[in-house]
Amino acid sequence: MRYLSVRRFSRRALRAFVLTAALAGCASAPNDDGSGLAGPNDVNDPLETVNRLVFSVNVAVDTLVLQPVAVTYRDLMWPPIKNNIHNLLLNARLPLTFLNAILQGNFSHAEQTASRFVSNMVLLWVGDVGPGEEQPEDFGQTLARWGVEDGGPYIMLPLLGPSNLRDGAGRVVDFFIDPLGAVAGSTVTVGRAAGGAVDSRSRNVDEVRDLQASSLDYYATVRSLYRQQRQAMIENSTDGSGQPAPTISIDAFTSSDEEAATN
Amino acid sequence: MTLRMDRIPSILVSILMAAALLVAPAAAKTEDYVVGAEKFIQDLADEAVNALSQASLSNENRQEIFRDMLSEGFAIPGIARFVMGRYWREASADERDEYFHLFEDVIVSLWANRFSEYSGQEFRITEAIPARSAREDEKAVLVRSLFWTDPNNPVRLDWRVANKGDVYKITDVLVAGVSMATTYRDEFSAVMRRNGVAGLLTELRNRSSDIRTN
Repeated sequence: MRYLSVRRFSRRALRAFVLTAALAGCASAPNDDGSGLAGPNDVNDPLETVNRLVFSVNVAVDTLVLQPVAVTYRDLMWPPIKNNIHNLLLNARLPLTFLNAILQGNFSHAEQTASRFVSNMVLLWVGDVGPGEEQPEDFGQTLARWGVEDGGPYIMLPLLGPSNLRDGAGRVVDFFIDPLGAVAGSTVTVGRAAGGAVDSRSRNVDEVRDLQASSLDYYATVRSLYRQQRQAMIENSTDGSGQPAPTISIDAFTSSDEEAATN
Repeated sequence: MTLRMDRIPSILVSILMAAALLVAPAAAKTEDYVVGAEKFIQDLADEAVNALSQASLSNENRQEIFRDMLSEGFAIPGIARFVMGRYWREASADERDEYFHLFEDVIVSLWANRFSEYSGQEFRITEAIPARSAREDEKAVLVRSLFWTDPNNPVRLDWRVANKGDVYKITDVLVAGVSMATTYRDEFSAVMRRNGVAGLLTELRNRSSDIRTN
């Protein structure tokens, strides 16, 4: 029985993989003139009109449902339990990180993830899960490691939030290859996703409110944050070393890049 | 002739290796401007902690202090110019002027507000490394630090610092790898793409008057 389901699982995974490869192949090249300056073409958002519509629905759902649930959870749940739930959710994500780290050929990260998973499983019984550096991996990042460096057009997914063609396809693959799903079933992974949404939203209530209120174009801000955050995750760095550093000068005027930019 | 041509790469390699040996000891020594940039960030952090520890200060005074600190510590004109991206060229001299004032007003107030909520969480500089600078007469340093908002999970905070003579200015802050300058550039560009430079100025004017009335 087990064998059967594993075979079916791998066939599904294979099909998803072929689909991903086909989708990723259509991703267009970035239209950047190399000046490091933003222009009409370098956001790669051809579906912007639809995306903005989906985004406004997402924001409405967030305001009406997710945020109130998250705030209630944050304010009413007993902190030690909240902390354990947070750790449990992070732990439930580790098998997928482990698998993707292997697919990326990053064996030291895979080994760390595996040992962290095992030690956390033991500690769970004691009721104290150790914290650790969070460096989640997913199939979108794996694809980037395999050469799909450009994520393709930006896509705002209903309920799930910001993504792009590569990362959206990666999510589909993750759903099928997730070891937790293979062992415990997809109900558990869906539950993990819902729990994760409430948990992470409850930890960012003030930040999101601040950003929403201060941004001149909230949609564009979220799009920019998503792109930069994904780049940092793909590089497995949080120091921005993977990004082309914006070279900003002390003064605005006497700048010699003025001529360079006009050419 | 062919023999000599073949030899050129190996000669080149030996020259490069000799050069590398000569350069290596020099590179190992930390440059003065790198040390200076690190000290500059540490001083700013100390100043911030100092302003926050004065219980007698009203919230308004505290924000005022932060506004001055940010105007002084950040390369506001350089950042404002970068954030405008290629729309800089479309803006008239008057528009650029107004934009600078509004940018300073709105963004500095916003960040003064955010920083004044800082409640003395641990902050530690981990390293300072030379970086690529925007101009030949300037030097750039990446000062990396950790910031503990949660005792278990520090956030990485990186500061890009430009130096010219005795002057040090922050040109960008990266929170967990996300550049603030780039985020503003993308956000402002989206507004200008739809409503032009005039549209951006209208938005900023509204924000600015909101700040005044609050």
